Amino acid sequence: MEATASVDNAAQAEESKLKTMKEEVIAQPSVDDVQGTVGTPFVENAKMSMRDVNVYYAEKQAIFNVGLDIGKNEVVAMIGPSGCGKSTFLRCLNRMNDTIDICKVEGSLTLEGQDIYDPKLDVVPLRARVGMVFQKPNPFPKSIYDNVAYGPRIHGLTSRKAELDEIVETSLRKASLWDEVKDRLQAPGTGLSGGQQQRLCIARTIAVSPEVILMDEPCSALDPIATAKIEELIAELSENFTIAIVTHSMQQAARVSNRTAYFHLGKLIEVNDTEKVFTNPEHELTEAYITGRFG
Amino acid sequence: MNSTEKMNTIDLVNKNLAKRYRAEKRFKAYGIASIGFGLLCLVFLFTDIIGKGYTAFVQSYIQLEVNLDADTLDISDPSDPNQIAGANYMGVVKKALRERFPDVSGRRDKRKLYRLVSNGSGFDLRKMLEADPSILNTKQTIWLIADDDIDTYIKSASKDGKVFTGRVDEQAQGWVKSLIDNDEVETRFNTVFFTNGDSREPEQAGIRGAIMGSLFTMFVTLILSFPIGVAAAVYLEEYAPKNKWTDLIEVNINNLAAVPSIIFGLLGVAIFIGMFGMQRSLPLVGGMVLTLMTLPTIIISSRAAIKAVPPSIREAALGIGASKMQMILHHVLPLAMPGMLTGAIIGLAQALGETAPLLMIGMVAFIVDIPGGVADPATVLPVQIFLWSDSPERAFVERTSAAIMVLLGFLIIMNALAVWLRKRLERRW
Amino acid sequence: MDNLNLDQHISGQFNADLEELKTQLLEMGGVVQQQIIDAVTAIEQADSELAEKVMVIEDDVDMREVRLDENCTTVLARRQPAASDLRMVLAVSKATRDLERMGDEAQKIAKMAIALNEEGQAPHGYVELRHIGDIVEKMVNSTLDAFARFDVDAAVKVARDDKAVDREYKSAMRELVTYMMEDPRSIGRVMNIIWALRSLERIGDHARNIAEHIVYLVKGLDVRHTSVKEMERQVKDA
Repeated sequence: MEATASVDNAAQAEESKLKTMKEEVIAQPSVDDVQGTVGTPFVENAKMSMRDVNVYYAEKQAIFNVGLDIGKNEVVAMIGPSGCGKSTFLRCLNRMNDTIDICKVEGSLTLEGQDIYDPKLDVVPLRARVGMVFQKPNPFPKSIYDNVAYGPRIHGLTSRKAELDEIVETSLRKASLWDEVKDRLQAPGTGLSGGQQQRLCIARTIAVSPEVILMDEPCSALDPIATAKIEELIAELSENFTIAIVTHSMQQAARVSNRTAYFHLGKLIEVNDTEKVFTNPEHELTEAYITGRFG
Repeated sequence: MNSTEKMNTIDLVNKNLAKRYRAEKRFKAYGIASIGFGLLCLVFLFTDIIGKGYTAFVQSYIQLEVNLDADTLDISDPSDPNQIAGANYMGVVKKALRERFPDVSGRRDKRKLYRLVSNGSGFDLRKMLEADPSILNTKQTIWLIADDDIDTYIKSASKDGKVFTGRVDEQAQGWVKSLIDNDEVETRFNTVFFTNGDSREPEQAGIRGAIMGSLFTMFVTLILSFPIGVAAAVYLEEYAPKNKWTDLIEVNINNLAAVPSIIFGLLGVAIFIGMFGMQRSLPLVGGMVLTLMTLPTIIISSRAAIKAVPPSIREAALGIGASKMQMILHHVLPLAMPGMLTGAIIGLAQALGETAPLLMIGMVAFIVDIPGGVADPATVLPVQIFLWSDSPERAFVERTSAAIMVLLGFLIIMNALAVWLRKRLERRW
Repeated sequence: MDNLNLDQHISGQFNADLEELKTQLLEMGGVVQQQIIDAVTAIEQADSELAEKVMVIEDDVDMREVRLDENCTTVLARRQPAASDLRMVLAVSKATRDLERMGDEAQKIAKMAIALNEEGQAPHGYVELRHIGDIVEKMVNSTLDAFARFDVDAAVKVARDDKAVDREYKSAMRELVTYMMEDPRSIGRVMNIIWALRSLERIGDHARNIAEHIVYLVKGLDVRHTSVKEMERQVKDA
């Protein structure tokens, strides 16, 4: 008798708890009041440092006062609901946003202490240092060899065919694609499967030996097996490269990254070690997002 | 309750099903009907043109024994080219005709007799003599081009049904019959039509001059409009900032594509001939005028082709550190090229068929000489068609249709070229 | 997005799954709690029938444990819970194990009740048994309440109570050992009481374990193998 009573009590208590929680939700501060970022956005050995970054699309502000460091040889994952500004922020890091006329970036963004928005800085070498892999696999409609060799060619990394061959081979090896394509380097890159195409794009990016690789949802168009291969590749690449990855898959962020940054409506809500974010996030918005309470 | 309701729904659906299918069939029938109508018009047009025009590709020749003696030709010194050029060739031809029909007498009858063969027969003789001077003072059996009236009569006689006599009276018909009976009349492929320039005499008129004029004009148009059009399209798509000015330019380009072509002709007269003082009737001026007319088409189609290049390819190039120019030259233009070429060829095809602006700049002049370059006065195919269609001679009717067939042939070749280029250059991504 | 409703998942089924886990755990807790009460009462009132009932119910508890474990696995596999949801599933899974152990201990107490009935009553120790039994039973009750309400303070209190149980157990032991030395003939029967006390003490430990799971579930803190004071400090800081 007493036991059932206790269960009933518990149920009642549960209901009242829910009620108070709902009241708390209503009373809780909205995202507009979020000030600053919780967690550890800044690290000691930062490869790239961003401070007070504001991004505007014409009148509309897309990024609000974001400060974040990307450490050397670190994989930083950026997650958040659609339209939260994570891709916009990522594209600021190699000035891909320059191609959009109405986009304006404010704040300090540095690569090893060098301001990347310095008007005197040439964007072409910057993009050689900070490479990018895109959402949709986008190999050029050329041969596999030419795809990888394109970057080294335009940057004039080498004029000798043998050296170029070597760059192509090492890049393809690093992208774990060599064994699959070594017999058909002159076949069109567009004839590969989706996952292979994306690895080809990664090989193309690392062929110019960048220091930082930005990945904008690199697996969103791929099947799970191809995704697993790319994730494995990211882990290997992090030994030599610094990687920032935007992803819609929280599991992917959990699997590949060292630190995870959670964006919400253009604000950087929380940055923490990935284990912490996925077991015990500090901010309630992060919690709500990664547990699937909105997004 | 529930199940009966369900039954009812399905019944209702079934009831309406037949009606829906009928509506669908009707809908499809409208489409088929309009295509059928279009095809019917096309078939009608083609049968009409081909029916009228195919006879122009053959020409009647009359066999004559011509005595090329120097006296009649009025040549005293065969080594003098001036004398050879100025010799009385028609004299020997007339003599040959008199010998063939010795019972013809009287000035009027004789003149009628001389009109059996073309006025231009003398030129043919001259060419023969110039090519081979040794035939002087010999008797030659020569096939001479029949006069247009005779030619029309012979060709209509060889066809079944109604014989078109026209200006050929019974006496002349008798002569022709006697020639035919003696196998002294032959119809051959009309090479003159393709090798001669324009002429007042239908049997001597050809479209070579017009074809060459068209080719030169198209050449000028192509080398001017394609680079300018592509450059303008690239700038507008890739570099131009989005503001009022570029909007204005864009609207104007779209409007220009719809401007009647004669306006471009007037513009050409005012600018190229009026201001720059260029000569009239030149393929160069015609090409420039047609360039103005073709540019909007090429710019619009090139912009569409550039727009169709997936942004992911641009991003890929930029992301790897390509400069904007490298991105455009290495990736955007090669991918957009098939579309741009197709647009250019369609634009050129349109220009090829254009008459009105060329009338304005004087390419309508009667020009016998075949132009040798862009700076020689010339006419073009559509203008030639326009000229011939105005001529009263019966023989020009079939030549008009034949010229239309040639023009259509060119258009088909250009369109086929566009398709082929597109297939050839198109790359998948 | 402005209208944040953070206590509900987008997937209603996920909500229901988690709720179901919790409800099942609390139900199982209720059964185990009744088992403990019955076992202690069986010794006190020398009621073998009641003791038999406790032992029969143990099968039901085992079955509930298996079912809960299955459900936890299902949620893990199908929903890949993260953060608080992940901690919830882990806490339920661990608490289930502790509850099952509690049931085992209650069964042991029931066995002692039967043994005592067969061998004759112990001359001493019933007061201590009643006393410790009351504390432990309250502990279990408040642990389940704390789980139901995600109440960390109540969980810390349970840990503190466990300390008290340990103290009570030690003093009772000392007393009963003294008694056995005085009257060696009663050793066998007193030992039965000692076993029962020992089981109650173990139940208290399991209750404390569950309390620690609750702290992990609510605060994300791992407070195992720490003193109660340290635990209180950490909970306060978090």
